Amino acid sequence: MAITGRILVLLVVLFPLGAALLVPLFGRYARRPALLLALLHLGLTAALVGLTVPIMHYRAEQDNYRYTEEIVRFRPEYVPGDVAGKEGAAGRTRWNLWVFQPGPADRPGPKVQFYLGVDGLNLWLLPLASFMLIPAILASWESVTERRGLYYALLFLMQAGALGAFLAFDVILFYLFFELTLIPAFFLIGRWGSGTERRQAARTFFLYTLAGSLITLLGLISVILLFPNANGSVTFSLPDLMGNVQARLQAAQWQAQAGQPEALQQLQRQQTWLFVALLTGFLIKVPVWPFHTWQPQAYTVAPLGVTILLSALLAKLGTYGLVRIVLPLTPDAALHYGLAVVGTLAAVGIVYGALCAYNQKELKRLLAYSSLSHLGLLTAGLFAFNREGLSGAVLHMVNHGVTTGALFAALAFLWERYATTQTGVYAGLMGRYPRYAVIVFVLVLAAVGLPGLNNFVSEMLLLAGLFQARYPSGSGVGLAVVGAMGIFLSAWYLLTMLQQVFFRSVREPPLPAATGRQETLPDVRGREFWAFGIPAVLCLVLGLAPQLLLEAVRSDVRLLTVIGDQARGRAGLPPSPADPAPPLKPYQGAPPPNMPPGMMMPGGGAPPAGPRPPAAFPAPPGGAIPKGPAPLLPGAAPKVVTPRPTGQPMNQ
Amino acid sequence: MSEPIGLVWLILLLPLAGAVTAALLTPARFGRTLAHVPMIVACACAALLAVTLLTQWERIPQGQLLSEPWTWFAAGRLHVRVSLAVDALALTMLTMITVVSSCIGLFSVGYMAGERGYARYFAVMSLFVFAMCGLVLANNFFLLLGFWELVGLCSYLLIGYYFVRPSAAAAARKAFLVTRLGDVGFVLGIFWLWKLSGWQTDLTAVFDHLLTHQPPQEEITAACLLLLCGAVGKSAQFPLYVWLPDAMEGPTPVSALIHAATMVTAGVYLVGRCAPLFALSPTAVITTAWLGGLTALLAAFLALAQTDLKRILAYSTVSQLGYMFLALGTLGAVHPTLAVIAALFHLLTHALFKALLFLSAGSVMHALGGIIDLRQFGGLRHRLPLTHLCFLCGAAALAGVPLLSGFWSKDLILESVIAASEQSPAYGGGYYLLLLMSLLTALLTAFYTFRAYFLAFWGPERLPPQLQGHVHEASAVMSLPLVVLAIGAVGAGAILEPFTHALSQFVATTPALQQAATVVTAPAWQPHIDWTVASISTVLAATGIALAAGLFARGEPEQLPAVLAPVMTLSQRELYIEAVYRAVLIRPAEGLAFLAKVADQAWDGLLHLLAALPGMIGQWLRVMHNGLVQFYALAMMLGLVVLMIFVVLGLSR
Repeated sequence: MAITGRILVLLVVLFPLGAALLVPLFGRYARRPALLLALLHLGLTAALVGLTVPIMHYRAEQDNYRYTEEIVRFRPEYVPGDVAGKEGAAGRTRWNLWVFQPGPADRPGPKVQFYLGVDGLNLWLLPLASFMLIPAILASWESVTERRGLYYALLFLMQAGALGAFLAFDVILFYLFFELTLIPAFFLIGRWGSGTERRQAARTFFLYTLAGSLITLLGLISVILLFPNANGSVTFSLPDLMGNVQARLQAAQWQAQAGQPEALQQLQRQQTWLFVALLTGFLIKVPVWPFHTWQPQAYTVAPLGVTILLSALLAKLGTYGLVRIVLPLTPDAALHYGLAVVGTLAAVGIVYGALCAYNQKELKRLLAYSSLSHLGLLTAGLFAFNREGLSGAVLHMVNHGVTTGALFAALAFLWERYATTQTGVYAGLMGRYPRYAVIVFVLVLAAVGLPGLNNFVSEMLLLAGLFQARYPSGSGVGLAVVGAMGIFLSAWYLLTMLQQVFFRSVREPPLPAATGRQETLPDVRGREFWAFGIPAVLCLVLGLAPQLLLEAVRSDVRLLTVIGDQARGRAGLPPSPADPAPPLKPYQGAPPPNMPPGMMMPGGGAPPAGPRPPAAFPAPPGGAIPKGPAPLLPGAAPKVVTPRPTGQPMNQ
Repeated sequence: MSEPIGLVWLILLLPLAGAVTAALLTPARFGRTLAHVPMIVACACAALLAVTLLTQWERIPQGQLLSEPWTWFAAGRLHVRVSLAVDALALTMLTMITVVSSCIGLFSVGYMAGERGYARYFAVMSLFVFAMCGLVLANNFFLLLGFWELVGLCSYLLIGYYFVRPSAAAAARKAFLVTRLGDVGFVLGIFWLWKLSGWQTDLTAVFDHLLTHQPPQEEITAACLLLLCGAVGKSAQFPLYVWLPDAMEGPTPVSALIHAATMVTAGVYLVGRCAPLFALSPTAVITTAWLGGLTALLAAFLALAQTDLKRILAYSTVSQLGYMFLALGTLGAVHPTLAVIAALFHLLTHALFKALLFLSAGSVMHALGGIIDLRQFGGLRHRLPLTHLCFLCGAAALAGVPLLSGFWSKDLILESVIAASEQSPAYGGGYYLLLLMSLLTALLTAFYTFRAYFLAFWGPERLPPQLQGHVHEASAVMSLPLVVLAIGAVGAGAILEPFTHALSQFVATTPALQQAATVVTAPAWQPHIDWTVASISTVLAATGIALAAGLFARGEPEQLPAVLAPVMTLSQRELYIEAVYRAVLIRPAEGLAFLAKVADQAWDGLLHLLAALPGMIGQWLRVMHNGLVQFYALAMMLGLVVLMIFVVLGLSR
């Protein structure tokens, strides 16, 4: 099993790269092979997800018996080239990309590793990235006519970059994949974009995001240099780095408690600068107000297929980077300034994006601003740094990706018929294309957060996270109010759009001369249904049964909140209380073969001085809870293990 | 039958099944003619089941049924479960909803025959009933919110049913947005309660927790006021009532459904259901009372001079809902059972006579080919005798003519307000003022209702010229529901409460009401008939009707004494409230949107200028005036390499 999973992980990244090489060979006939390859890839991802979900559920189950560890690290599964060999699973890789300086065995030199793996945080982004390529291909089916081979190859390349970044656990590898997405996006916008501004837009997009990500790179390198392993060797591995950061912070905290606060103060100042540096690239990528100006232009000019990927995948790279890199590497600064500064920017963005989206004449632009608004909520909720907020953020990445991507795909329907997506020329499409109207209504309602559709769930979680967020300079209730207003505002501008475009008597623009068609195409055809009808169905499914996703995310979200709570302890705030009632049914059956009960990542980080309680307790027989002494972190209140739920609903 | 909660699930899921079936019929050819079958069968069966459950209710222990919950979504401390709760209050609502919607569904068969989108209509109607049943049954705040929004969605789709009409499109959007504005508060209120109640989201759990752990007064007040925002939006109370009069853009049976059985009753039900919370906060309760009292009077005034029959009925709905809120607003000052039962009783009778009135108006519209403006027709009593009789029943019940249903329920509300003015420790004077306002409202109600009645049915026959020979009574499928509802509107009130006290005894078993009673000090309430109130309201109704008869019995709309003219003009122009909203809220919001767009362009321009500076220098230097792409890619790689070297050097010290 383990080996299958590793091969799948490898394939999930390499397959699109291979596809990118293969597709151009078909030249003009590239679109069918591209679709076939995308479907195959979806199959691969589905298999990987199928293998991983039980492990994640098992982990979540284990958490019910786990005391708070002092140092937590991401625990990637199915790492290709695992050091533990074929059968074991250490969650670290042997595969080096570049060894800068081979050192002795006990003090290895710096090396960039091809370190990939799956965990709860990226698990659902993989199927998202895999799935959304299909609408992207289908939306380009007829509108892209020149150099099809290259076009589809670049789409695959972009997907590969996103997938690689999602899967990477080596920070430099992450950065490489992160930047890899930029090059195909640049060419796609500049070469296949519409209008005279396309080169300009591509250049703005490229320069803007590159400038941001170079600052992020600077931050990454500083983190790498500042937080070497205990034995002094430099590491690029994210789990090690986050462990080192925690160890240093905790050591400084103990010193502070012993009456020497200088070390902690200095570390926290350092954290602030690192935070700013790491943050910049991701904030631009999301984008968060006021770094968004590249976005409406790029979304509008890019061909729709590319816009789908930009909104569904590349934007998520930004938010994913915040979760994966920024929170664990600079927890104290994220707690101090995350909500207070970034959250405020995001809140401004929520309202600002909504206002800009209102009465916007160009539908692509409207959706771009809507994205700005919705992702503002995501960013703010994520920095709440608690379970509700982080679970909501991870889920919202998927939900927003599906919904917004599908909405852009739905615009392709209009583009193929009339070659325009201006609102002014359309009216009464409900009478003209009833089936199309139904699908667009579902998608729009999903976007406005109607319960039963997907975005409602994640938005409620984000609001819940904000509502009870605690950070040193205040509470998140104000942000929750803005977030709730944002949900109302999204209904305001989207329903206004619906009223203009879908209600009233039919008005349609003249048929474009370029296509040479005499009659308009009929209502939604099979291909178009696959492009945005299936995502609409998915919106419903994800809205009704989100727990499968949330359950798989739970364990790794908890891991981040442990870091958050430690930072809260250093800031003098109490940690979040434990879950009142874990909803999970016990994992049925044996533990997955590659994950023995209670297994923790062997750490590469420095063990802090002082007595150290065991990191984890194995599940006790019979489900009894060990009542042993709670491992006390000096300064931080102990986290008490809650028993499994025994409470039944009242009055039953 | 052995499993009562299974029965409840069946009641809930039948309308959903009806909706899905009708939606699947849309493409089929017989969807045009048979799409009503799923909805009517589903609603009728659900009604039958609800009545069955009602008759078996005494066998249910503890007065409440809870379903086995399952998790919808959960993370951290937010744990949202799908669970249903049935108690006497919910069951009463359920019965009313399913019965009234069955009648309306039957009426629609005739009314909507041959319309385009016949199947769509019945699918959404059925979904509407499903949403409303779910709302009534939900035992979790987020699930409740889910059905709450689904109700909003269905109203959006139905009000915008004639989507070709710009006014319908605007009305649909308005209804959705205005109610959603209230829902912002509702959502925040739910979160606040979640926090106050130790991270619970189930209604029963929240109540239990808050009653055992008294929360701080300000916080529970804030939470209740936020919940009230949602209720005010859905139940069309001031200041969010503006969507309801426009909502008549939908087909008339839709208006009947919205005004009687679904949607607008949701807010009243919510407050009633959350009685244990409101009992904790006197401030929230008195706010409810004032909102209700003001809305009742305001809407009654606005209804005075309308010329559109449906608009009169719409304002009367707003006004009557105000009564219900007023009744709820006495909670705490009087025993919670009295407050909630008064509101619920009026809700039930109102559902019957308002559905009847709207369907009668629909019958008029059907006969006149869609004309509903009272200035264009009149004197229909000979042409449409059955409709006339039914409308009269409804109007008399609404006006509070003695012994009809509206009379009894309105009296109960007045009685609770009187009791509140006597018993309330802090707000006695306020309740006294509210009592006077509600008496005035009763007078106005009788007046405007009968004004509409006389204008439509009395005087010489006036018909639009193109219709002269075609006006006729509708088919049996439309008449039958009218007759059923008319019987209900006339008799249901007397049967349910004043002589039998069946309703109050039944609803008093609701656990939530008993819980609420534990925190208030008001004396227990003994159901009785207050003949003083009855005689006062009889006089008021008689005065109103007599006034209307004096002014309008000849069926001529514009015959008014000069004294009344400015008042009527003010009423006809709806106090310019729409214009005020437009000037104070909508225009500024649109202005802000415009400003934001300008600001965005300015910001973008500034950044472009900054970005262009190096470019200009570059151009000037003529170093790289083409091939930018490769250059940047190269630059990036170079940058990476430089940084790598930096890393290596830094390490190999």
